[in-house]
Amino acid sequence: MNTLRIRRFVVMGLLPSLLIYALFVFVPVVWSAYYGFFDWKGIGEAKFIGLGNYAEILRDPVFWRALKNNVIFVLASVFGQVPIALVLAIMLNKSNMLQRFLRSAIFMPMVLSAVVIGMIWQYIYHPQIGILNFLLDALGLESWKLQWLSDPNIAIFSLTPPLIWSFVGLYLIIFMSALQNIPGDIHDAAQIDGATGARKLFSVTLPMIWGTIQVALILCISGSLKSFDLVYIMTKGGPAHATELLATYMYNSTFSSYRYGFGSAISTSIVLISLLFIGTSQWLTSRRKNG
Amino acid sequence: MNQSALQARQAPSHKTGISVKKWRGAILWTFLTIYGLLTLYPLFWLFISAFKTNAEFMNRPFALPEAWQLENFTRAWASSKMGTAFLNSVIVSVVSLALTLFIAALASYVLARFKFRFKGWIMTFFVVGMLIPIHSTLVPLFILMKQISLLNTYWALILPYTAFALPTAIFVLTAYLSSVPKEIEEAAYIDGTGLWGVFLRIMLPISLPALATVSILSFLHSWNDFSFALVFISKTSLKTLPLSIATFADGYQTDYGLTLAAMTISVIPTIAMYLMFQEQVMKGMTAGAVKG
Repeated sequence: MNTLRIRRFVVMGLLPSLLIYALFVFVPVVWSAYYGFFDWKGIGEAKFIGLGNYAEILRDPVFWRALKNNVIFVLASVFGQVPIALVLAIMLNKSNMLQRFLRSAIFMPMVLSAVVIGMIWQYIYHPQIGILNFLLDALGLESWKLQWLSDPNIAIFSLTPPLIWSFVGLYLIIFMSALQNIPGDIHDAAQIDGATGARKLFSVTLPMIWGTIQVALILCISGSLKSFDLVYIMTKGGPAHATELLATYMYNSTFSSYRYGFGSAISTSIVLISLLFIGTSQWLTSRRKNG
Repeated sequence: MNQSALQARQAPSHKTGISVKKWRGAILWTFLTIYGLLTLYPLFWLFISAFKTNAEFMNRPFALPEAWQLENFTRAWASSKMGTAFLNSVIVSVVSLALTLFIAALASYVLARFKFRFKGWIMTFFVVGMLIPIHSTLVPLFILMKQISLLNTYWALILPYTAFALPTAIFVLTAYLSSVPKEIEEAAYIDGTGLWGVFLRIMLPISLPALATVSILSFLHSWNDFSFALVFISKTSLKTLPLSIATFADGYQTDYGLTLAAMTISVIPTIAMYLMFQEQVMKGMTAGAVKG
């Protein structure tokens, strides 16, 4: 076969993927970095204002609130999803009927759309007809009843159980496959050395899957920056911006007032923040491994 | 005598050892089962509540419905134009899936089998894109769609869904094809089959298992997506299921049976798919998450 035909096939084969990918993933990011320097309403002249949009973002208390809420989401994932999934993975490591059933049950929310998940939990938290307050009533714990989603002080925390609920299954499967990849010799060696129970867990099992835990941490961070649907459905960022995340902040400040330049600047900030978060977590976890 | 006394003393303690272990196991399993049931409860609650009347929904939230209101479903289907939304979701998901599979398989064949300049760069280009949070592209994509007048068309959803599915698809498929021995295609080349022929008649069928993984992942993403639909689609006749359910819930807020029936209809396809291809769904979604 001649090289010219191969070369043509290589180009033809890669072109469609590269084009679609570049046009709808890469170009938008570059564009938003560019538009971020302008004051632009979508129609008419775009006015160059340098770092004006970024200065406004940094002065906006809602931005800081959103960033804080994103950090709360990351922490809820790191200290909620990861430990629960790890414990479950260690306990579900065999494959009998009950274990298979539990695994399927725990993973099930992963295939649901965030819209449905958000709406179900809205009903659970509903102050009058919600099953949570109904349950507290039935148990005689009236004083524990709260305005789960409309009290600005607790709304963001009410959003973390649905978040954890919907993603534990993912981490469970990731950890289970990591545990299965630990070679049998290592378990034998640990047994000969007399390492069992907690001691084995901390000095053998966890170090063996540390790489996977690192991946899980990155997933928690990028997952938290991806949570838009759930919050938009359940609270739309309210009450009074109490549950605003970076993504809802971007959506609300772009599409309610058609400030495309400002919204682009927020988009760019989200990209930078997420790279910063992921970089930091990589640095922290790899340092701990070496130390 | 002495020894038998020792044995007698040891025996019971050995026995308690076993029963402590047994108890611990039992507690563990009870805990696990409760956890599993709690996990399933919100879904179970959705299904039973979808069959209830409003009065029952409010007064007996935990009980099974007294009379199963099937008409909640027929009313939901008719009054919210769910048929249209369902069709829109099917069109958008299926077209973007077909597009993703074809162009990703083609690119993967090239990346797995041919040597050429910039190959490393192209791989890196796809990896870098996977670090980009999807929502940060909403605003610029909206501007782009507006400028090329794709807003309120199926393409406004199909193209971004495909674009965001590509990196994972290409990684899964390239890894799979690299592990397949080259003998079969080499025999085909010798028989005079062209590159396209080998791709269509040999590589595509060979990569079926990997294509299945990619299909599940990409289908679930586009079927469940809300944010792109929210931003790019405002015409009622083009709304996909998640978007139209969210709008529907706003409109019929106090008709609970109706809203819950609509939600149930929208989750049935994904849950059915999950129950049928469980292992593959788990594998696919994990691969997608870890790589993406």
